[in-house]
Amino acid sequence: MPPSQFGAQLVDNQALSGGYFTLRFACDAACGAPLSGIEPGQFIMVRGEWGREMLNPRAFSVLDAQADGSFSILIKIYGRGTAALSALRPGGAVTITGPLGRGFSAPADATQLLVAGGVGLPPLHLQAKRAAAAGRPEAVEMFYGGRNADDLVLTEPLDDWGVKTTYATEDGSRGHQGFVTGALEARLEAAKASGEAVEVLACGPTPMLRAVRTMGLAHDVRTLLCLEEEMACGFGVCLGCAVPVRGPKPYKYCCSDGPVFDAREVRWS
Amino acid sequence: MSAPVRTNPISPDAVDLTTTFAGLSLPHPMMTASGCFAYGQQFAHFMDVSQLAGLSTKGISPAPRMGNPLPRICETASGMINSIGLENVGAEAFLAEKLPYLADLDVSVWVNFFGEDADAYVRCAEMLSAGADRGIDVLEMNISCPNIKKGGIEFGTVPEVAHRLTKRCVEATSLPIVVKLTPNAADVPAMAQAAYEAGAVGVSLINTITAMGIDVRTRKPRVATMYGGLSGPAVKPVALRMVHQIHTKHPDIPICGMGGILSGEDALEFLMAGASCLQVGTANFSEPPAALRVRDELRTLMAELGISNIPEIVGCIGRHDPEPTYAPEASWT
Ligand SMILES: Cc1cc2nc3c(=O)[nH]c(=O)nc-3n(C[C@H](O)[C@H](O)[C@H](O)COP(=O)(O)OP(=O)(O)OC[C@H]3O[C@@H](n4cnc5c(N)ncnc54)[C@H](O)[C@@H]3O)c2cc1C
Ligand SMILES: Cc1cc2nc3c(=O)[nH]c(=O)nc-3n(C[C@H](O)[C@H](O)[C@H](O)COP(=O)(O)O)c2cc1C
Repeated sequence: MPPSQFGAQLVDNQALSGGYFTLRFACDAACGAPLSGIEPGQFIMVRGEWGREMLNPRAFSVLDAQADGSFSILIKIYGRGTAALSALRPGGAVTITGPLGRGFSAPADATQLLVAGGVGLPPLHLQAKRAAAAGRPEAVEMFYGGRNADDLVLTEPLDDWGVKTTYATEDGSRGHQGFVTGALEARLEAAKASGEAVEVLACGPTPMLRAVRTMGLAHDVRTLLCLEEEMACGFGVCLGCAVPVRGPKPYKYCCSDGPVFDAREVRWS
Repeated sequence: MSAPVRTNPISPDAVDLTTTFAGLSLPHPMMTASGCFAYGQQFAHFMDVSQLAGLSTKGISPAPRMGNPLPRICETASGMINSIGLENVGAEAFLAEKLPYLADLDVSVWVNFFGEDADAYVRCAEMLSAGADRGIDVLEMNISCPNIKKGGIEFGTVPEVAHRLTKRCVEATSLPIVVKLTPNAADVPAMAQAAYEAGAVGVSLINTITAMGIDVRTRKPRVATMYGGLSGPAVKPVALRMVHQIHTKHPDIPICGMGGILSGEDALEFLMAGASCLQVGTANFSEPPAALRVRDELRTLMAELGISNIPEIVGCIGRHDPEPTYAPEASWT
């Protein structure tokens, strides 16, 4: 679906634990419908009525989208833009550009291990939801990590969908104590031992993605990373969001070539 | 305080937005700026690109360039700093792969170009001349390349050097050359004059202002190259001043104005300062069809102010009425 730019209004702003918010918007069905057909990992650029001082829109993954033009995002306050969004009240207007980028495709033969951390949850949450809706919740398994139990949000739906989920927290307040990559490592070992075909889909903080990449490459399983880079436009024009890659050209672009990249392609030392 | 110029509002339909720039007739003043419109295709999703008066492409060099390390951009108050590094597909690929789309648009196609040294500028102008009958209307020569080889900075800041470079490029191509000026020069009108006397048909300005952002947590600059180029509304007052200075000193030099244009009123300010066509840059990132909205707002505003055509107001800025000389008086108490 080609992107477009359209207006939307906030319907619901829900404060969650850990400083997270889910924002649900409504827009014209004709404008919003393309969002419901996205691949998880595709994103939108969002800008409120912020005047001139905060010039550029902000990138957010789509958490969920319906054919009637309603869609939602998960945010955490990072700076001024996310603070302004967190304070948005029902009826508040935003301008949306999207859908943008390339996302994850649905599970095929290999079981997809979905590794999520922080605001990297939405693409994998939506991937899990889609698998469940297709009657294949067992085709995905979630590995969800945070600092503590409050840092893990929107977990009930995962249970409702019957998606097997492994939690990890740094303080041990929910699930395994430690990083989510520890649980992933064990799962990859088990798959290797049984000869099960798996692939890894990950989105989250960069240190987590680096660890997942190293692990995926070491186990020689297909590993897809959903990356975040600072971007001004989101549709391949400003060239700000370069990602170093292997191959004849040293850079690709997070917004137009990604944000999902194969771990083998990403050139991280 | 000077009183507003008294005019009666007119109908928006009675506003004639046509303008001429260095012999080019344009349906209205609004173009898009180099590096902020790529090679155009991406914008077709969001707007009817052929409604623009013209566009300037990403800066083209003789060979492809890969660009700078990360981070390359950061947002600042009312603007952004970029250090993209003039990444581009190179002249050959531009002509073969990008130009055909632009040629079909029926807008004024300005190809922004540069070289890593003087010979490369000339080579690039020669290579792009092959596009003269394939859709290129103007070569916009970017003489403000902060991040190219030693000596590059002089192209944009030393009038004699700019004169020599412009002359060589003008002689190397049949296409008209517009020289894009950097605000990082001590005497911008002198730069404009040097370019014009060397055969450029006009000037465009401003390019970005050398700037810096600092991340206090990491104690690192916010773009990897330490300094980058500031653009957006933050630079508009500086851009207006420079357009006005050139127009005042050299009223014959055609000026394409830019720097932070976001609204019809911004556009009108630039026209009044002395520009006869305009480019919109950074605004395209948050709003791809920004230049067309600006065009519509310009029409509405001109109608409100009773301005029926562009030539009427280009460079129309007068001085404030002189203050009477006040004789000192005894204190009130
Ligand atoms: C493809 C993609 C998907 C994303 N999905 C989500 C999501 O689902 N939920 C969520 O909370 N956040 C997400 N982010 C990160 C989010 O865009 C930033 O947190 C947000 O832009 C910060 O803006 P700010 O005004 O609060 O911060 P400021 O620091 O004030 O922002 C200043 C500038 O930096 C940019 N910026 C700052 N941090 C980041 C970052 N980590 N990534 C990209 N740009 C950044 C901003 O866009 C802005 O231009 C995503 C980023 C990308 C690239
Ligand atoms: C990301 C980015 C890339 C740019 N690339 C070029 C370029 O390749 N050549 C050039 O002459 N100007 C380039 N510019 C400068 C713009 O064309 C314009 O002169 C400047 O940004 C001021 O206008 P604005 O405030 O409307 O953006 C670039 C600007 C930005 C923000």
